[in-house]
Formats: sequence, C-alpha cells, structure tokens
Amino acid sequence: MEEARVGVFLSDGGGYLSTILDLNAIKSYVEKLSNVVQVEMRSDFSWGEDLQIIIDAVKSGKINRVVATHNLLSLGDVKIVQAIEKAGLNPYLVTVLNLKDYCAWPHQDKPDEATEKAKAILLAAVERSKLLEPIKRLEFPTLKSVLIIGAGIAGIQAAMSLSELGYEVHLIEREPFIGGLAARAGRFFPTDDCALCIQSPCSDVKTITDTSRKCVYRSGFSEIPNLNILTNSRVLSVQGVPGKYTVGIEKRPRYIDEDKCIRCNLCTEICPVEVPDEYNVNLKTRKAVYINIPYSYPPVYVIDEDACKFHECEKCVDVCPTNAIFLDQKPEKISLNVGSIIVATGFEIYDSAAIKEYHYDDYPDVITNLELARMIDAFGPTEGAIIKPSNKQPAKKIVFIQCVGSRDQRHKKYCSSICCMISLKHAIQIKEAFRNMDITICYIDIRTTGREHEEYYERARALGIKFVKGRPTEVTHDPESNKLTVDVEDALLRRLLQLQADLVVLAPAMVAARGSEELASMLGLELDDDGFFKEYNAKLRPTETKMKGIFICGGATFPKDAPTSSIQAHSAALKASKFLSEGKIVKDQVTAVIDEEYCGDCEFCPVTCPFGAITLEPITEGHFVAKVSDLLCEGCGICVGTCPLHAIELRHYRSDQMRAEMQALLSLNEKSKPLIFVFACKECGGTADDAVAMAMKQYGSNMRVMKVPCTGIVRVEQILEAFKMGAQRVVISGCKSDGCHYETGVQIVEKRVELARQILKEMGIEPGRLLLFKSVFIEGLGILKVAKGAIKWLEKIGPLQLAEDA
Amino acid sequence: MEFSEKITNRIGGETLTSCYQCGTCVSSCPIARITSEFNPREVIKLAQLGVREEVITGDAIWLCTSCYNCNERCPQKVEIAEVIYAMRNMAFEASNKPAIYAEFASAFKEQGRVVPVSQFVEKKRADYGLPPLQPTGVEALQKILAALSFGKTSSKEGEDK
Amino acid sequence: MKSYALFLGCTIPARQPSYELSARKSLSRLDIELVDLPNMTCCAPPPVESINLEANLSAAAYNISLAEEADLDLVTLCAGCFQSLAKANAILKQEEHLKKRINKNLSHAGKEFKGNKEVKHYLQVLKDDIGLKKIRASVNRPLSNLKVAAFYGCHVLRPSGFLRFDDPERPRILDDLIESLHARSVPYRNKLKCCGGLMRGISDDIALELARDKLVNTSKAGVDCITTLCPFCFVALDIGQIQLRSKRQETYDMSILHYSELLALAMGVKPEEMALDTHKIKVDKVIEKLE
Repeated sequence: MEEARVGVFLSDGGGYLSTILDLNAIKSYVEKLSNVVQVEMRSDFSWGEDLQIIIDAVKSGKINRVVATHNLLSLGDVKIVQAIEKAGLNPYLVTVLNLKDYCAWPHQDKPDEATEKAKAILLAAVERSKLLEPIKRLEFPTLKSVLIIGAGIAGIQAAMSLSELGYEVHLIEREPFIGGLAARAGRFFPTDDCALCIQSPCSDVKTITDTSRKCVYRSGFSEIPNLNILTNSRVLSVQGVPGKYTVGIEKRPRYIDEDKCIRCNLCTEICPVEVPDEYNVNLKTRKAVYINIPYSYPPVYVIDEDACKFHECEKCVDVCPTNAIFLDQKPEKISLNVGSIIVATGFEIYDSAAIKEYHYDDYPDVITNLELARMIDAFGPTEGAIIKPSNKQPAKKIVFIQCVGSRDQRHKKYCSSICCMISLKHAIQIKEAFRNMDITICYIDIRTTGREHEEYYERARALGIKFVKGRPTEVTHDPESNKLTVDVEDALLRRLLQLQADLVVLAPAMVAARGSEELASMLGLELDDDGFFKEYNAKLRPTETKMKGIFICGGATFPKDAPTSSIQAHSAALKASKFLSEGKIVKDQVTAVIDEEYCGDCEFCPVTCPFGAITLEPITEGHFVAKVSDLLCEGCGICVGTCPLHAIELRHYRSDQMRAEMQALLSLNEKSKPLIFVFACKECGGTADDAVAMAMKQYGSNMRVMKVPCTGIVRVEQILEAFKMGAQRVVISGCKSDGCHYETGVQIVEKRVELARQILKEMGIEPGRLLLFKSVFIEGLGILKVAKGAIKWLEKIGPLQLAEDA
Repeated sequence: MEFSEKITNRIGGETLTSCYQCGTCVSSCPIARITSEFNPREVIKLAQLGVREEVITGDAIWLCTSCYNCNERCPQKVEIAEVIYAMRNMAFEASNKPAIYAEFASAFKEQGRVVPVSQFVEKKRADYGLPPLQPTGVEALQKILAALSFGKTSSKEGEDK
Repeated sequence: MKSYALFLGCTIPARQPSYELSARKSLSRLDIELVDLPNMTCCAPPPVESINLEANLSAAAYNISLAEEADLDLVTLCAGCFQSLAKANAILKQEEHLKKRINKNLSHAGKEFKGNKEVKHYLQVLKDDIGLKKIRASVNRPLSNLKVAAFYGCHVLRPSGFLRFDDPERPRILDDLIESLHARSVPYRNKLKCCGGLMRGISDDIALELARDKLVNTSKAGVDCITTLCPFCFVALDIGQIQLRSKRQETYDMSILHYSELLALAMGVKPEEMALDTHKIKVDKVIEKLE
C-alpha cells in the first residue's frame, strides 16, 4: 500500500470557530505532523468552492487521505464523503469531524483546554488515517422471488402486492385450502363485510390487472401468472443466504388430480367415513374426502389421509366421473430458490379447556367465538341458526365471557386485542337477526380502540345487549333443565348474579400458530416471551426481523384485526421488494475477518455472533476454522472482543487503528486533567455525546471519546491499555441492556467490565475507575453527571499509580 | 407511607397492587354469596385507594372463611386470602379485633395450642387405646413468639419491616 | 415399613379421638409407622394467621424443624394443619429471604428450618405410598352398597400452587380412595364449596347456611353419608345438624365419617373399637352396609 499523504481541512465557520478555538495554533500544530502534506482553513468545507479544494487535491493525487472538519452535527459527513468518492477516493479513507459541537461549544468557558483537545482530536484522526485501508464495496446477487409462508389474509395480500410488482411469488399453506383463520370469521369489523372471500379468489376479467377493489373474491389473484400457490405444503428446510435461499418443501398428496376435479361432490356423498369437521370447529362432521366450502381454493377436493380407508374402500374412485382420484399419490419434495422470505403464519385461539372452571371440554353448550362465528355464517354448518350443540335446539339466552385466558397471569398475560370487538360484532349480528335473543356480555374492560370501533359498543347498547362488568368464576350445568348458569359479580352493582344461559360463548386468548418455534429456529428468527415472531424494531421496522431478507407480518407478530394485518402485509411486501429490487445487495466490506493461522478452533465466535454470520468449516480431521460471511456480518465487532486468541479483526476498526486513535486522544493533556477516556458505541452510547453537544452543555475537556461500532468490540486489554496511556478513568458508554442495537453487545461487554475490574483490583488500582454507562439518546445528559462526578472523585483519590514495570 | 404500601410491605400483602377489580373473587366467595357485608373485591379496592379506617376498623375483613377459592381463581394471582390476613394483622395491632381472637392469641401463647386439650380428655385417651399425648413445646414457642412481639398491640398499626 | 412423624394438631386430640383412632389403626395395618415426636405445638392455623402471619410461618417452621431433626416427613390428619404446614414448607423453600427471617426467629429456640422434608396429608400417604390397589386389597368388609358424598373441603386443595395435593378444579383422590373400598362416590351440587367451619364462633348464621347447603345437596343426591378429611368440616356438618335441628327445625340424619373411619371399618376394625359414639349423628346406617 502506498504511503499515506494526509490532507487536513479545517472549517472555521466564517471565523466563528476562531472566537473559541485558537485555530491558528491548531493549524500550525497539524502542519507539523508527519504524513500531513496539506492543511487548509476555510469557512465550510462541506460545499461550494471550499469543498472543491478538497476535490481538486484528491484528483491531482496530492493527497490520498482526507481529514475534514465541518460544523453541522453529523450531517456534513455525507455531503463531503459523497463528493470525495465521486472524485475517486475510497470513502473509507475520509474522516469527517465536527470541532464545533464536540470541542468548541462544550468547553467554551475554557478555550485553552478546548484548543488542546482539538489538537488531540486532529492528531487522532491523522494517526488513524495513516493506518486506514480502502474498503471494498461488495455486491451479492439476489433472486427476484419471494416465499410467503401462510396463505391467510396477510399472506395473500403480501402475495398479491409482490406478484403485481413483478416478483415470482411462492405462497405456501400447510392446510389443504387457503384462507386461514380470517376466512372462517364470518364478517370483518369495522367494514362489516364478508370474510369468506379470503379463501375464494374468482374473477371474470379477461386480463389479470390490479382488480382487487374491496374484496379478495373478485381479485382473481390465484390466476396471476407469477404467483405459485402451494397448498397442503410445509417448509422442511431453509438453507442459503439472504438473497439466495434454498427452501425444501414437502407437498402432501391430495390424492385428487387438480386438473380433473370438477367439484361434483359425488365422492363426498358416497364416502363412508365421517370425522369431526375441524373447519367448523367440530360443530358438524365431514367425510374423509371433502372440500371446506364450495368455493374453497384450490377448487379441488382433498382426502384426509388420517381418516381415509384407501384401498380397503375405493368407493370414491369408482364414482368419480372424471377419474380424478388417485389413491397412490405420493408426497412431493419441492425445492425453491427465493431471494426473500415473508412469515405470515397468523395466530390461533387458545385451548379454552385450560380454564377448567368454564368447562369448555365437558359442557357442549359452552363454545368459543370461533364456533359462534361458524354458526352465524349463513354458509356455515347451521346456516345462520344459533343453536345449542347439546340438543340442536335454538338458543334464546346467550352469555359471553371475555378475557378467557387473556390478561391472565395463569395463562396468557397479554390482552389479545381483538376479542372485545369480535364479541360485540357477534352480539350485534345475532341481535339484529333475532330481536328477542337475550344477550349479556361479561367483561373486565371493553376495549374498542381502533377507528370506527367505538360505534360497535354504542350499537350494541342501543340494541339492548346487556353488559356486566365482572369476570365470572364458574359455569355450571343443570342436567335436568339442560341450562347453564354463569356465576358472576357485577362489580358496578356490587351484586352477585347467576345468569341463566342456553349458550355460553367464551372469548379465548389468541396465541401464536402451532409450529412457530420450529419455523423460527429454521429461519434464525426470535420469538418474544409470548411465542410471537419478534420484529427488529417496533417503532421503525415493524415488519423486518433481525435476519436480513426475512420479514414478518399479520397475526404472526401479535393478534390483530384485518385492517392492521393488511397494513403489515403491504409493508412486508414493500420491504421485500426494496430488498430485492436491484437484483443485488450492495454492502461495504466493514466486516470481520478471521486470521486462520491464529484461529484456535474454540467455537466461541459462532455462538456469540448475534447474526449467525460465523460458521465453522472443517479443515482436517476434527478441526475447524471459523469463517465470516460478509453478507451476514453486521460489523459490530462482538466476535473481535470475544476471540480469546485475538484472531479476529474488524475492518476499518482494527486494533492498530483503534490503538493509534486512543493514544493520540490521550496524549495532549497538559491543560485538561484528569483524563477520562470513553469508548462509546456509535449507537446509543455515542448519542450521549451528541445529546450533550446539541444541548450545548458544558463539561470538562478532559473527557476524550473514541467511537466504536458496538461496545462488544472492546477487549479487556484495550481497557488496561487506556489506563497505561494516561487515562485516570475509563468509561464504556453503550446502549441499555435490552436495547443493544446489535442484540447482545452491551451484555457481553458488561461481563468483560467485571473481569477488568477484578484485574484492576489485583493490580492495586481502584476498580471504580472503570465504569459502564448505559443509556439511550433521550437520557444522554446522564453522561454529564458521569463527567462531573468523576472529576471530584478522581481528584480525591489522586492520580493512578502504575507499577514500574507495567 | 401510603396505606397500600404498608400492606404490600408486610408478609402476605405483597400482591395487593396487582388487582384490576375483575370481581372473580366475589363470585368465587361462599361468604359473599350469603351476605353483602363481605365483598373481597371491595376490601382490596379500599386498601388500594388508602381508605384505611374502613378496612382496619370494619367487620368485613373478619368474615373471610379462608377457603382460598379467590386465590385459586384470581387471574392476576392476587393472594386475596393472604392480603386479608395481612389486613387482620394490622387491625389486630391497632387493637381492632373480635373478642374470640384475643382468646386464641392467649391460648396459643400460654399453652401452645389454639384449642386447649383438657386434662379430662387427655386421660380418656387411654380408654380409647390411644397413646398418651406428647408434651407441647410451649417453652420453645414462647421464645419464638417473644422475638416477634406476638400479640402486642399499639395505638397505630405496626409496620412490618 | 415407611415412617412418618404424626402431626396431630389441636382439634383432633381435643375433640375427635375417632379420627385419630381410625387413622392409627388403618395405617398400622398398611405398614406405615407413625412416630409421636415430643414438643410439637399448634400448627398456627387461620386464627393465628389472622393475628400475625410471621408467627404462623415461624410456628409451622418450628414444627417442621422437629421432624427434620428426626429425619422424618410429616403427616397430618387435619386439613387445616396440612395447609398451614405444607404452605409454610413450600413458601420457605422457595423464598430465601423469608427463610432467613423465619430462621432468625427460630434461633431463639435453638431450632433451624432446613427445608429438606415433606409435609403430607393422610390421604396422600394412602394414595402415594400405599396405592389404590393395595388399599383395595386390604378391604375385608367391602362397602359395595354404600353411596358416599366425597367432601374435600378447602384446605387440602387450595392454594394449589403451594399444596400440590390434587387438581383443585377436578380432584380425584378422595373419590378414588372411596371407590377402592368398593363404595360409590356420588356426584352432588356444589361439591367443592366451603363448609363454613371457620365461621363457627364468628358468625354462626353464615356457618349454618354453608353447612346447610352441603346437607341439602348431598341429601338430594341420595347418599348414605358424607366423607370428610378435616375435623372442622366434620364438626360443621356433624354438630351443625344438631344446630340446624334446633334453630331451623330441619333434620337431615346424614352420617358424617372421616375417610380413615370408612377405611378402618372396611378393613374389618370392630366398630366398637372406634369411638364412634363421639359422632353426634349416628353412623349405624353405614355400619349396616358393611358386608
């Protein structure tokens, strides 16, 4: 690599900065530094003529490293760097500093000290510059195809959006028919429109364009050419990298030829096997060969392989007019190559039998809202009649019980968010159809938080639906009258009620779909404490996950209503599209690199990498070497800090670069004492610095800050070195324990701080000299207390006494 | 200190603040079914709001029959029966107690038994073929109770810690 | 031969020698040794808990520490004693800071609670240590014609998190044990409702109302007797009938027996040797049904 020729460009803001810092002294100081070949001072190097000076210097070849200062907090960087990159210099050889906010303002009442610190900061930048290397810009190809797991309302909408954008979309569903839970709901709120359309795409238009207006039914989405719908299929394995996944899928056999079936229903009529109908929550039975509703999609019957007698029977085979039934069909193994994956697996209802006191498992007339939805559905098993399952007689008195398993420390602690609306919707639908129906809803709170939701509560009261604020303790059954009794206190009346009911409807908690854990582990995703898929950041990235290229949406992340599922589905589609639209992932190689000579095969780094970017590759019998994937590596440096043999370096943050910076920062300290050295992460830790700067607070110039990507990169030796280089106190400033932007960095460094403290103690140094400061941006001013408090204490305990041979 | 905090600081009272007034305890309560004088949800609410007098001097807290049905059914795992015990403890320390409890206290302290066994009954054991009763560890118990200042009352209800 | 330290409590020696007798006789025939340890005290039941919860935990811990010293698990006959001791045992095993605090109190008497022993109710010993099969095999006088209302009471079942005696909503242990005597356990309304025993002396009206509920519902179910496992339930239902007769002119003539008494009778112990005359309501009906 050729020798570094550093150009230093100081922006003095039209002379403003000179009112605080002695810029002339700083300029002469910098001019004398080795490898500095050009020093300029102008008003503002981030634009116009002044910026042109840097560009010319680069183009002429006079300089091959740039250290520039400007006066805009953290925004000037971009302008300067982009311009210099255009001029032909690798952007990672450019260092941009802000002397106004980080040096002049915070120390303006001590201009001498501020000047000294400015010199230290510039020295650090120059020394580091000399060791910087150009960083490559990598490209990783991506496939323009997406796998969407789950064909419920969210999955379908995401599939529609992405296929209309031109992506190849594979929509996979483990049930034999699409639609998910939403399709069985009867009607949606607040639109009061039909849910069953979700499972039955039809269209009579000649070309499939953006047809879906207000319903999925007329959307024809199943006929979009680049949308491949796989039902009766499960994901078995996921391999590869973001942009290029290879997904292994098993398609269970339907035993019926998809092209030949004409849905004549003869097979179902003749089938001798009856089993409980799960689609209708066992309110009726179905046959072993069946279709859920006449317009289920795909429009092909299916044989339930657990119920069918196969060759012992064959009645359906004989009766089928098109010979569509093939009992020997085998499962198909399919391999798909996709660029991105969207998880839309939805939620399920909690098994209400767990709340034993409501007797869901032993009293047939105690049902859930899902069963009631099936009853209300005019196309359902009772064709809209509300009946007691025990004797099929019409029900006249209904009592709803809310929060069955939700908001319950013994079952699910959270509020399932949609159950109040579902019960209100059902109560209103029933009351409007059957004026004389006696309906009471027992609740703890009524939650109608969305747009147009409160109207449901109003309408329910207007219809004469009764409300009891109280959670029932028990449901009992009288065998003689075949009636149920609900024991509840109306807390508002302060009176015990014994509500008689023909039907008790439970509003059960909503839980993550079965199989979520396995799927999460296959994809490397995290589930939250309640078992739902966790988004990367609820505020800014609600449909992204910690794994690049994998997105989540809909009920899989938390129970939600149809409109919200819709929003999330389109968001996930957009994110997936953004990820794949360029056909490649472009990434700067600020990634970890492992020196294979030193790799000790200890297997720590793959485990500690929060992004699964490190794998072990076999070299000889039983021996491995760790390798980093440039694509997956997020550049945090946690592995660097973890490796016991120092075999890993993070490009652009190598140990020699960090050491040079640290030494320089701690060198000029005649005026500012005692020195406090801060390792600050670029995320929250660094924001503390920013916050203080923006608030124009004053603190001592003895605080010298070095930014690292994540505090996880800091090693114990670096901490000790800081003390050796003159720091009287070392602060590690990072994110809060549950908020580390790299998942685990700050928790890992916490352990190292403990270890370092013990070592300090052994060496006879006060362990309190080392501090771990955790904060977020909005609490950043806390660093001031750290700075001020430290000075008093450090003065009290006196300067550090290092052993002669330390 | 807030009244509710005094309760949560005592043994048994820790879960007072979890209650969200759903009323499951009331419909579970065999006593509430018979008399409206006792409503466990109301007692908890009064305590949460700091209405000390009614809780400590009232009769309600003495009507709990300790069946623990409320504990069992409470969706917030509030230990209602224990909280009521804690409130009784505070009432006792403030000298508000049904007469019978004073008897229990002294029997326990002096004889090591809440229900004393009379000499007559003890003698009859042999007639039934039962082995003689072992001596009661009253001395040991008294030493333990002394460490707790058991049964002491004062003008203001005690704080536990 | 398994040994247990027997914890008698107050009420049984004071008022129900029949419970103690039947328990001792039945357990000895089933090869369980009961050891009577000296210096035990009251278990500190609800009356003491109402005065001071720390005293309750300390007294319970003290009693358990005696069993620990003798290297024996404890068995109780009274459900109240069971709840008090088993609850304290579970809480102190879980909460380290409470255990330290209680042990400080115990140190004044030179004792320490270690938390290495179990507290069981008599029925648990029957079910877990002996087993339903052996119980059935020990029956010499089957009770095949007997219809029994199983009454669990409250304090063996709840708080279930600490006691872990049986499923609090659908307990089976007493019903199973009754059926192993060849008798029939008959369902009845409000089976798990409290008998009101602890209300006696505080509000006799409430106590009677609750006892009455039990008697009415079991009578409706057509049972010959109610089986209890707690001396308070026994008193509430046995003496309670006398009070209901005098105060409300209602007669139920419902025999009340502890499970141990049923077991002893079914094993063949002579009724004359069981102090059955201490029952206020005669149990002749039940004895007649012994084969």
